[in-house]
Amino acid sequence: MKRPGFNFWGLLPAQLIMLLTMIIPIGIIVVVSFSTRGAYGGFDYIFSLESYQRLLFSVGWTDELEFNPQYLLIIGRTILLAATTTAICLLISFPAAYFIAQRQGQLKVILLYLVTLPFWVSMIVRVYAWLIILGKNGVIDGTLSKLGIVDNLGSLLFNNGAMLVGLVYSYVPLMILPVYASIEKLDPALIEASHDLYGGRWKTLFRVIAPLCKPGMVAGAVLVFIPSLGAVIEPMLLGGGKKMMMGNLILNQFGMDRNWPFGAAVAVVMMGLVMAVMILNALRAARKQAETA
Amino acid sequence: MILRSTLLAGATFLAMTSFAEAAETLNIYAWADSISPELIEKFEKETGIKINTDSYTSNEDALTKLQAGASGYDLVMPSQHFVKIMVDEGLLEDIDAKDMPAFKQVDDKWKHQWWDEENDYSIPFAYGTTSFTVNRDVYKGPVDSWKVFFEPPEELQGKIADSSSGDETISEAQLYLGVPFCTEDKAEMKKVRDLLLAQKPYVAVYSTDNIGNRIGGGEVGAHSWWDGNSLKIRMNDGANVEYAFPKEGVVGWMDSLVVPKGSKNVENAKKFINFMSEPENATVQYNFYAHSSPVEIIKEKAKYTPETAPELFPDVPVEFQKACSPEAQELVSKVWNEVMQ
Repeated sequence: MKRPGFNFWGLLPAQLIMLLTMIIPIGIIVVVSFSTRGAYGGFDYIFSLESYQRLLFSVGWTDELEFNPQYLLIIGRTILLAATTTAICLLISFPAAYFIAQRQGQLKVILLYLVTLPFWVSMIVRVYAWLIILGKNGVIDGTLSKLGIVDNLGSLLFNNGAMLVGLVYSYVPLMILPVYASIEKLDPALIEASHDLYGGRWKTLFRVIAPLCKPGMVAGAVLVFIPSLGAVIEPMLLGGGKKMMMGNLILNQFGMDRNWPFGAAVAVVMMGLVMAVMILNALRAARKQAETA
Repeated sequence: MILRSTLLAGATFLAMTSFAEAAETLNIYAWADSISPELIEKFEKETGIKINTDSYTSNEDALTKLQAGASGYDLVMPSQHFVKIMVDEGLLEDIDAKDMPAFKQVDDKWKHQWWDEENDYSIPFAYGTTSFTVNRDVYKGPVDSWKVFFEPPEELQGKIADSSSGDETISEAQLYLGVPFCTEDKAEMKKVRDLLLAQKPYVAVYSTDNIGNRIGGGEVGAHSWWDGNSLKIRMNDGANVEYAFPKEGVVGWMDSLVVPKGSKNVENAKKFINFMSEPENATVQYNFYAHSSPVEIIKEKAKYTPETAPELFPDVPVEFQKACSPEAQELVSKVWNEVMQ
């Protein structure tokens, strides 16, 4: 028995919260991105496309408006970083999730619990832990030189590797869990069938297991890729802050650069990228459903 | 404006409900670890006013928060150029600072400064300098010029740490090159950019977090830093560091206590300012914070003297940062964005 209007009224609180905490703030960001910057930060409600123009063109050292790819470079670099992080997470997650899925009973629960454990600790603390591990006289440098394996390895911090380690560490649980969920559902009979049909280990992995686990991997990839796009702390603390990422660029606009509308415009571009990923993913899923139906 | 006032109304409502909990409160928004906890406790005991503190690590953060409106704070501690901007932007409460007992404690040379000529809004709180600190285990050479920092000798190559605040790093480069702060001259700023780009291969990290560990432990050899902080790790932690006084000068800053417009506890804020300016308390604060005090302190009880703490007594020119015009600031941003590109 379905009560009339139940769907509407039942969902109303959730809809209102979405409207108040999601749609309206995003609307404000979009509005600010089309406004005019104030002299000392802030903004005025005067329509302007300047912020979007600034993404591509800026006044050069010779006082002429010229094409300036610096912001595109930052956006490109950020996407590359997020994609690399996602790829490494995937490489780590698949065997890890497979291993967990193969365990029995209690052990499986404990392993899954361990995967989620880092989430109970603040992200900043986790990044600082890596400072201690990778730093000069830190866990790695200290241990290796005490054992006499390497003399004076020094600091392993402030490079792209350290930044990636931090990002992968932060986000890998977001990949392991959905991948685990899809491996868990895997029918062992299918693997057996593959072997019966003379499918070797690799062939079974790539032709049987991987395609069946694809939904989990895609979900994990989305979960990792999106927050990686907005990473601020890892590039600054572990990477040494030598090259700007989109997150730092936005942060600067509300600080030193005193250009709120441009900060909002970069945020809108970032949001656009995230939405593009989500929409592509949704379209793919819809097509898949249509095919199987 | 409609948007902004609805936001304001919402925030005020939130603020009101939280204020209902305690009758007398004071919400302080200050530099991280800047106010002596001992004094906060003492003030709470003496007056019965409950203090809530929140901290920031850059002037820009403080400005942005006040600009967003209805921050709920009663007391903020911006540096001189940001006091000027906040006054000009109408973000501060006129507290007639010149009529307050605290004002009488202020050293004459810090009265009627360009950032608050009539002393309507601010009482100076602490001042200091920004220069660079070297780790003497890593680098043993002279530190009498910014050249060591910007065109480092071999021992320091790859071991330089700049500030992650473009304003700070660019000011330092300007001192070295003799380019005036807040210049609107593109050719001059291009020189600054070229210097920073040439320095970049030798820079290990651009950061203002966790500096003490990094320079004290020798992770880097030279780090852009502040006088009092460098003093504290040398004195309290026995780090083998030296704070440089380059002949081209150091960057100066003066933090003042101001009351943001819309504060609900103006009187409590003024009480706190007066309290902090009493010589007894100012001395405790000086010994805790290790930055120079613009208000009178009790000399005999001061922990830092020219003999024990040369960091606090510069013998080179001190150039105070100014409130740059939008045109000049645009150039600062341009340089920084190109260095960070």
